[in-house]
Amino acid sequence: MGLGDVLFGRKKLKGAKLDRLFALSTAQITLQTELDLRPAGVAGVVFKPLSAGEFMRAEQQIDELLGVVAQTSGSEVRRRQDSLGYQWLIVRDRDFEDLVTGVHLVANELGAHGFGEQLLAAIFTFERRGEERPVYLIYGFKRGAFWPFVPTGKEQERDNAEELRLRNELQGELPFEPDLERWLGLFDAPLD
Amino acid sequence: MFLTMFLLGALYVVFFVVLVQYFQLGFVPMILLLGGLAFLQYYTSDKIALAASGAKVVTPEQAPELHAMVDRLCAMSDLPKPRVALIPTDVPNAFATGRSPKHSAVAVTEGLWRRLEPREVEGVLAHELSHIANRDVAVMTIASFFAMLAAFLMRMGLWTGMMGGGRSRDSGGAPAFLIVLVVSLVTYVLSYILILMISRYREYAADRGAAVITGAPEYLMSALQKIASDMTRIPQRDLRQLEGMNAFFIIPTNVKRTVGELFMTHPPLEKRLARLAEISAEMGRPIAA
Repeated sequence: MGLGDVLFGRKKLKGAKLDRLFALSTAQITLQTELDLRPAGVAGVVFKPLSAGEFMRAEQQIDELLGVVAQTSGSEVRRRQDSLGYQWLIVRDRDFEDLVTGVHLVANELGAHGFGEQLLAAIFTFERRGEERPVYLIYGFKRGAFWPFVPTGKEQERDNAEELRLRNELQGELPFEPDLERWLGLFDAPLD
Repeated sequence: MFLTMFLLGALYVVFFVVLVQYFQLGFVPMILLLGGLAFLQYYTSDKIALAASGAKVVTPEQAPELHAMVDRLCAMSDLPKPRVALIPTDVPNAFATGRSPKHSAVAVTEGLWRRLEPREVEGVLAHELSHIANRDVAVMTIASFFAMLAAFLMRMGLWTGMMGGGRSRDSGGAPAFLIVLVVSLVTYVLSYILILMISRYREYAADRGAAVITGAPEYLMSALQKIASDMTRIPQRDLRQLEGMNAFFIIPTNVKRTVGELFMTHPPLEKRLARLAEISAEMGRPIAA
């Protein structure tokens, strides 16, 4: 934002930063071998609900988008809505690299259809042997950075110690959000 | 916080210089005006602090455990009970305010209440009550009043000196007005550093007070460590529940926190912990690591 925009209060919503998403494909080996985190083959892209006026247009655009994604990638993509009224596109793929590419494609298509500013985050699910609760990595589109998210399953509680440990282990491989106050969770994401 | 207070003070100085220069106010009215402002600040300190932090005063029915804790600590330290307030934020913190024990209030954030053990909260509350008992608001107000006065006197002296010296205004160099302004500001900066030194000293005093009231400095130590740790900065809210989403993204990315100790209102954590450990040793208690 330039000085002129500051002076005249012309704050624009930031567009989405997508490129750093691919760092996750490279970090996959460390995730599996050193941290025992295996990808669950599912990820979600969440974007803000729209005003009533935009809604009809959005319906069409998203259907069209799902068609494009289905044609160009092997990933399975479904549409969900959560209890807070946010829209989700759930991507499924056994192969982790394809999954990341699928998420990138979905986000990219959303941007191309005019939803770039509404894009909030992508969330990837990981599993650990012998443990029931999943571990998540969230990618914030506005900031182009990752942060870990480990809910304990009790209300809105998180395992902060584990989250910080994950960051310390992965810091060299993934661009992490430096400001801890922005490590906001995504509780009850409709990823199942 | 540092910048806000500093700029506020600098604004006062500039304001007074302009006032004297252009309205030819005398020495006595200026002192009265300065004193009046300081008094106003002092008299309304509790209301200003509570309103500025968004704290809500809670009744014993609304927060029975918190009130019971404050009741116990006040009985221990022989203080009248302050008003108790909760600040609806996640970041653990607390403050005390008010010009005298009778007109005081103590506020804790919801994050502090949620994330700390009861005995740790007690340690933090005892620290804040010590501030009230030590009358720290009064001390700091008086200290900053003298800082203002120093800057003002310096300005006054310089001004009369130059005018009385009979030097010609055409002799070159910077205009007298500018020199006066710069000297006042320098005086102010120096006073400000001194005030912060007093503030840090009062923090140590309040830590000691808390140790004496609770008899268990180790809980204040663990509370301070928790408050300072990275963990407590991770929010418990959901990304989607965030109100004012757009405002959230405007906040500058990386405000560097490199201000030296000279400019801090509180002493660094390690030094506070070291002193508390000493107090603990004096009291003959082992410290839980």
